[in-house]
Amino acid sequence: MNQERKRLDPRRPFVLSPAGLRRIILGATGGFDASLLAAPAHTPAAKPLRLKGDPAGYLLVAAHSQRGMLDAHAHQAIAAAALLASPQQAVAVLVFGGLNEDLRAYGADLVAVLPGADEQGFAPEQELASLCEFVTRYAPAHVFMPDNDIGDGDLGRRLAVHLEAEVATHVVELKPGAVAMYWQGGAALARGPMPLVVLIAPDVVETGLPFSGAGETVAPPAAQAPPGRYQNRGLREIAASALALEEADFIVAAGNGVADIPTLEAVAAAFGAAVGASRVAVDEGKFTRDKQIGATGKTVSASTYLAVGISGAVQHLQGIKACRHVIAINSDASAPITKRADLSVVGDAQEVMTALLAELAQRNWPDTARESV
Amino acid sequence: MMPPQLKIAALVSVGRNPASGAPRAARNDVLALDAALALAPEVSVLHAGDAAPALYDYLAYGAANVEVLPLPAGADALAPLAARVAGYDLILCGQRAEAGQGSGTLPYRLAKALNMPVVSAALEITLLGDEAEIVQFLPKGQRRVVRVSLPAVIALHPLAPRAPRYVYASLRAGRLLSAPALVAAPLPASPWQSEPAVKKPQRLKPLETRQGHARLLGAIATESKGGALVREGSAAEKARAILDYLRTNRLIEF
Ligand SMILES: Cc1cc2nc3c(=O)[nH]c(=O)nc-3n(C[C@H](O)[C@H](O)[C@H](O)COP(=O)(O)OP(=O)(O)OC[C@H]3O[C@@H](n4cnc5c(N)ncnc54)[C@H](O)[C@@H]3O)c2cc1C
Repeated sequence: MNQERKRLDPRRPFVLSPAGLRRIILGATGGFDASLLAAPAHTPAAKPLRLKGDPAGYLLVAAHSQRGMLDAHAHQAIAAAALLASPQQAVAVLVFGGLNEDLRAYGADLVAVLPGADEQGFAPEQELASLCEFVTRYAPAHVFMPDNDIGDGDLGRRLAVHLEAEVATHVVELKPGAVAMYWQGGAALARGPMPLVVLIAPDVVETGLPFSGAGETVAPPAAQAPPGRYQNRGLREIAASALALEEADFIVAAGNGVADIPTLEAVAAAFGAAVGASRVAVDEGKFTRDKQIGATGKTVSASTYLAVGISGAVQHLQGIKACRHVIAINSDASAPITKRADLSVVGDAQEVMTALLAELAQRNWPDTARESV
Repeated sequence: MMPPQLKIAALVSVGRNPASGAPRAARNDVLALDAALALAPEVSVLHAGDAAPALYDYLAYGAANVEVLPLPAGADALAPLAARVAGYDLILCGQRAEAGQGSGTLPYRLAKALNMPVVSAALEITLLGDEAEIVQFLPKGQRRVVRVSLPAVIALHPLAPRAPRYVYASLRAGRLLSAPALVAAPLPASPWQSEPAVKKPQRLKPLETRQGHARLLGAIATESKGGALVREGSAAEKARAILDYLRTNRLIEF
């Protein structure tokens, strides 16, 4: 009996994890394999190309960029196209506005950029002409766009109506050849075949793809629409302090590490930013409850999040998931926030904030630059 | 003041209370009606469909009367609405219906049928002669000002800063008018199958093709981005590091 019992081999094949731990390879037999050690497990291998050979058809994605970047919602639209494309279908992306990021990770095979047409502009007739030319050029099976408020939802509807094509809006579920969307204000779910124009709701597609796109740059459409019936009179920005936190684009948030609230508020004012706080700071009465950010507070989506004296507990990080650029000022270099932050400054919050104010004042920057109405 | 000959129409629909499902005046359409009444004392308030009791709410919100354009079941509301509002200078509506499909395409289809420009996400509307100036909603606290030549279709954003008042006396004073039936094109057979939304929709994600070991490696490999760490230097240098980061990413304009 005893002889038949399977024994674990203590020298089974293993690899070393980035943290230096031994990770045993399940299912493998035999001794220690040195070749596995030679290739450290944590170097990300280059992902394989999704597209095999010359494309035999196209799926199209169009989206507006902001400050040279597409937002997560637009990335999801590209990833949706890449996930739904057949191996012979290429994903062609048309970006309205400048682009300084690599879209290959989201599966873009062809990328065309119209630098002059970002979300600041409003030229629906011109944009529609460009998009129509792009559609004619590639004759796509489907056109995917994020259904958002920065111009893509608007342009997608214009495109569908112009082409008299079927359209699905606020799409919450995508499957090969089929989509689903909410009706009756969310009480009913309608399913149907995938139409030509698909406007995708946020957060319904995962963007971590096991493959990459070819990312080839192609010429943007050259169509010129005649001067039309719309006139853009420019942007108007609301003073950040008057904004709800959820809508703010720049947030300066204070945690337990901030003692001097007026300095923090001065920093926020200098950047034209809204003020937020962690739960501990709110509980101490330094801020009102409506300033709390996190699981039990507000979920924010600012482009810039400056976290001063915040440790970065999961409950807090939950509220800043959608923030694009997180900057932390913390005296502890190993606080969890440094893993989330794009830039962490290790130092005393008070000193760094004072230095920031001095730096801003010294350059004589107009601190009303962002608040001009 | 605005010349009196400007003809303004507000399109209203039957909404749906999101909690109880009870029919009501659609919030977004109430904003459109209120914006229209702020521009002109006389507004044609139109509804294509049945004379539902929920339409009386629009009387309370200031409509002198609501004109109901009869619509056979399964017919497209576009044709009767387009025929009725032809010749109007300004057509206001909500951006997205609360009941029905709520796809938010009606303003665009109407504008195409009438060959008018269409502007959506409108927060405020000002009339300037034969143009309308519109403050449009953009996320993150931005607003855009656009001008459009009249006639035009304008769809109101749900966050338009208006405070419509519910006045019971005007509900009693107003009435629903039923217009003569117009020919309505039947909708093509709908490819959509609707079901009660009980299950959560599934996210689209890549098929897992990796096996055993590779999958485990994927699970432990955190895509830790953990950005730059500035430890050394004076406070001023650290402050400069922050400003440099903001400037390289074009997050501040100075
Ligand atoms: C059910 C539940 C829900 C919660 N919901 C939320 C929520 O919605 N939002 C939320 O924020 N929290 C929430 N929390 C609390 C959360 O777990 C943390 O306790 C909280 O976020 C910590 O706040 P903090 O980072 O400000 O404080 P601390 O954890 O005390 O961190 C302070 C940080 O400041 C640094 N520091 C100290 N002095 C200085 C200095 N002089 N200069 C620079 N840095 C300094 C420290 O190194 C430390 O990293 C919740 C907790 C629970 C259990």
